[in-house]
Amino acid sequence: MSAFVEPLGQSLPRLEAPDKAVGSARFIDDHVLPGMLHAAIAQSPHAHARIVSYDVGKAKALPGVRAIVTGADLQVRRVGGMLKDETMLAVGKVRYVGEPVAAVAARDPETAALAAQLIEVTYEALPAVLSIDAALDPAAPLIHPDFASYVRTMEGNSRGNLIWDSELAEGDVDGAWRHCDEIVEAVYETQAQQHAYLETNGVIAEPEQNGRLRLIATCQSVHHVQIRVSEELGIPMSRIRVQVPRVGGGFGGKHATNIHSIAAWLARATGKPVKLILSRAMDMEIQKSRHPARIRIKTGAKRDGQIVAREAEITLDGGAFADESPNVLAFAMLMARGPYRIPNARIRGRAVYTNKLRAGSFRGFGNPQATFAGESQIDELAQRLGLDPFDLRLENAMQPGDRWIGGQTIPSCQIAECLRRVRDAQRKAKPLPPPKPGRKRGIGVASVTHISGLMGTSASVQLRTDGTVALNTGCVDIGQGSDTAMTQLCASALKLPVERIAYATQDTDFSPYNWKTAGSRSTYMTGRAVVAASGVVHEKILEHAAEMLECAVADLELRPGGRVGLVGVPGKELTFKDVALRSQFRAGGPIQGFNGLVFDGPRFDPKRALVARLAFDNLGAYAFGAQCAEVDVDEVTGKIEVLRVWSAHDVGKAVNFGSCEGQIQGGVAQGLGYALYEEMVWDDDGRLANPSFADYKIPGSLDLPAEIVPIVIEDPDPTGPFGAKGVGEISLVGVAPAIANAVAAATGARLRRLPMTPERVIAALEGPG
Amino acid sequence: MSERLEYELDVNGETLPVRARPEATLLEVLRDELALTGTKRGCNQGVCGACTVLLDGEAVRGCLTLAANVGTRAVTTIEGLATNGALSPVQRAMVESGAIQCGFCTPGMIVTLESFLRANPKPTAEEVREGISGNLCRCSGYVKIVEAALIAAGGKP
Amino acid sequence: MRFASPETLQEALALLDEDGARCLAGGQSLVAMMNARLVAPSTLVSLRRIVELSTVASLQDGGLRIGAMAAHSAVARLEPAAPGPRLVCQAAAMIGHPAIRNQGTIGGSLAHADPAADYPTVTVAADARIVVAGAAGRRTIAAADFFKGYYETALAPGEMIVAVEVPPGPARAAVHYEKYSLVHGDFAVISVAVILAMEGERCASIRLAVGACAPAPLRISEAEALLAGTRLDDNALAAAGALLAEISDPIDDARGSAEFRRKLVPRMVKRAILAAKEKGPANHV
Repeated sequence: MSAFVEPLGQSLPRLEAPDKAVGSARFIDDHVLPGMLHAAIAQSPHAHARIVSYDVGKAKALPGVRAIVTGADLQVRRVGGMLKDETMLAVGKVRYVGEPVAAVAARDPETAALAAQLIEVTYEALPAVLSIDAALDPAAPLIHPDFASYVRTMEGNSRGNLIWDSELAEGDVDGAWRHCDEIVEAVYETQAQQHAYLETNGVIAEPEQNGRLRLIATCQSVHHVQIRVSEELGIPMSRIRVQVPRVGGGFGGKHATNIHSIAAWLARATGKPVKLILSRAMDMEIQKSRHPARIRIKTGAKRDGQIVAREAEITLDGGAFADESPNVLAFAMLMARGPYRIPNARIRGRAVYTNKLRAGSFRGFGNPQATFAGESQIDELAQRLGLDPFDLRLENAMQPGDRWIGGQTIPSCQIAECLRRVRDAQRKAKPLPPPKPGRKRGIGVASVTHISGLMGTSASVQLRTDGTVALNTGCVDIGQGSDTAMTQLCASALKLPVERIAYATQDTDFSPYNWKTAGSRSTYMTGRAVVAASGVVHEKILEHAAEMLECAVADLELRPGGRVGLVGVPGKELTFKDVALRSQFRAGGPIQGFNGLVFDGPRFDPKRALVARLAFDNLGAYAFGAQCAEVDVDEVTGKIEVLRVWSAHDVGKAVNFGSCEGQIQGGVAQGLGYALYEEMVWDDDGRLANPSFADYKIPGSLDLPAEIVPIVIEDPDPTGPFGAKGVGEISLVGVAPAIANAVAAATGARLRRLPMTPERVIAALEGPG
Repeated sequence: MSERLEYELDVNGETLPVRARPEATLLEVLRDELALTGTKRGCNQGVCGACTVLLDGEAVRGCLTLAANVGTRAVTTIEGLATNGALSPVQRAMVESGAIQCGFCTPGMIVTLESFLRANPKPTAEEVREGISGNLCRCSGYVKIVEAALIAAGGKP
Repeated sequence: MRFASPETLQEALALLDEDGARCLAGGQSLVAMMNARLVAPSTLVSLRRIVELSTVASLQDGGLRIGAMAAHSAVARLEPAAPGPRLVCQAAAMIGHPAIRNQGTIGGSLAHADPAADYPTVTVAADARIVVAGAAGRRTIAAADFFKGYYETALAPGEMIVAVEVPPGPARAAVHYEKYSLVHGDFAVISVAVILAMEGERCASIRLAVGACAPAPLRISEAEALLAGTRLDDNALAAAGALLAEISDPIDDARGSAEFRRKLVPRMVKRAILAAKEKGPANHV
């Protein structure tokens, strides 16, 4: 028997990596069911129009077509996040080019696609609202004229095309400006980014026995899909089962959407399994984007660098449906003050409807936008004050025990350490060869903060009669490695080798509830449930062993490799199998442990902060980081080449060290695309102009620095499982401002709009200062 | 709608019968006719590389290859790389280096690396980056993939 | 759709004479368009088995004849001595990505005539001759006359490219192909091809073509005349660049505005010419 290696912290290969490496891992499109039909979607050609009539005659007559559904066939049930404004297909009017208006199920994908094209819809075009300013114009056409009738879980002061309107403030901002020696104010703008997971969204729906429906969906939560389909189709949740295969990336773009209900509807109509896999173009046209943002931000400081006040107005373009706009807005506002001891801050936020694709959750969730503005401005302030950008940040950095805006106390805070570590790493790094002629070099830094934790989760652990363990959670692995991390946590808690733990897939029929894989919350939240449930099993093992060994529970200890023995007496021990058998046959049942929790941290403190209509008020463990980019700017072509990036994050405790590094590197890559060239572009008619990888470019190997250096700092969070926090999103958040700051340092040109394309760089280099 | 063509394909050393529409791509035939679903569809435009297979040992896009046009050339897919259940050095290195996250780019990436390393057995890191420049990965930032390739090549990461 | 895979050029031409028939060369553009449902040819004529189309041979004058079905990767591996062919082969190495280069062909790329592609620009710079065959027989079209507009060539219906003949170009000339794109492997936002023969410190002759800035590759003798005889000083380079920028007609798209592309013309022209000058003629590489 080989020596037990403590699993916590090990860079274990992902459990499912061998399957992925030989091509046997099954993703949604790899599943084929007997008699399976294929679905296709018909889309709106207009950005804003009334639907006058449908004619499905030609489509229906096509041989091989089995079912068609249009908005006219639906019983209208509006679904959504905090504001329920969406229907499964457009009903009454269309609100963006590409919006699904009908769907078809046919015997093969080509027939389905042809049938979708043959569906004739007559429209009466309406004037389209295609920008934030157009949306806010008092004379603007209303995108949701029936808004007042929509169900809301909270009032958001919505009116006209304004989805939501919030305010967050502490101290006395208006009075603070006169105490500032320097004030900088500017407007920053960011673009719509697409998740561009390599695997597009897709689902299979199949009528099961007992009148139930089974769905297999590439998704970020089986429970969430179940809830949505139930709501959207008016079917009890007891009649819907959702399973998940291997997921090819999510990044916030694979939460429940109308495609799950569409497939379910067609499966019920035909009595057959129906597969709906979105093409890349359709995925980009109908799923969601990151919120484009306009942020006016103002920061003031004293001559010595002490930052006194910050004010920001954040306006998000939410697209045609509210989706998670109130939440993204709230989070952007919460992050806008940054990890600094700024006593006076006022953040106002608005999200608006436009006749474009809805914006929603995407890794970072409003934080990349807010941080681009805030961290760019810190450097502009540093320049005005004549201070080094690192020093200005360090001078104002939050300390453990400080309180975040709104009042939550931050028990562990490593922002200063992260800043020092990236600064030192950059200084100590081997100097690169000098820039080629025409290029200028600069380094830039950004502080980052993010949160892990939110909502509810649970886990169950069972000791089987052979001494192995069954671990069961509702946490979906979207590629970020949660299957492996949960297994490592359980293994560590029970001192078992990872091979002795069987981690179940997620299925609403038997998985304990989990909200979603989102918000950097899986390790922190589900991990806590796993450790606690393992703890229950641990206790029961000791109780049984105490009876078997005729001693007190306090005299016993778990030993590595699945054993329990008497402290100080190496020979006196039992195996887990011994204990499990005893439990099963003597007591009558297996040893099991269960734990469920809802995030239980402190809420906003109304005595401290003005909090008006903020979509959440208790969040999670705060994690901090700093990112430093070394950059060459080609002043002739405007191209920015990122040479090296250092990304330091306090993760509390790295459950799987290699996974942690991989997440950090991947987040930097996605942040670099956001910073430099990823942009969804709409033409003047509201049509998405670049719904393909040919025209929406994401970074390839040669577009990224060879060195993306993760610096993992472990300062245990008192509430996390073995001290762990999340790291899923934070490494994306600071890349854009770090690069913008490097560009400014290199050339003197300040870019305030993303992405920083060569064209914009040249304009900034030539522009008026 | 179109009539079906019948022909044979040499896939992973086996001659397999195919019955497919004339316009069917190699990607479609592999996945839908031959149930070899390891090769993935990411964009169907030849940009992402998830559909990469080998034709006579050379990396090509399965989605841009007409299956009827393959002729007698040998097709190698991800399913054909392990020998007698043992992972190839590239597969093993990818697994052990933490270079696999969501896994969707992985088959195309591994197939590309197999061909690349056969042609360039002792590459530099920069050459590896050039070699995988046609395979998009949204999860990893490519760093650990390059490390895995260098390990598979017997060099230092 | 009907699929045919003839073994002789004659058979292929007979099939191409039918309405709606198209050649299938490497498929990197055509199959992508079929996947996107942008085209649906009634007959697809694969050229793969026509052996004479893949051959590459030196010409008596030192030039290179490249069969239409030669893959980019094969062309990229050639190391011809003469400058014209060397330019074309260097550009081949920069097309797309390795997997694309293994299947894409020079005939397919030229027939597709995307001005943001690489071969059109370098064949124009190198004064290449496009050898074309049709039911009526063969003819040769100068590259400068071959590209008519976006995705539009001088090929008559039923005609196909058979080979590309690249003349040697001036003895001891330096060549450089500079491609500027947003990300690696992408289509060019602007590209510049240079064949530069120096005499001492002065430019003896220069061939200069700009790609991705107009419906077809841009090349004008006036710009080349402005540079011939000069030391390739900043003024001369700027004048030539300005002339080319003036006649350019770039598009606005997600990669950049027309104004930006026009602004890049003189900058990239200067950079490419100076890079060629720095490289010098490759006698021994």
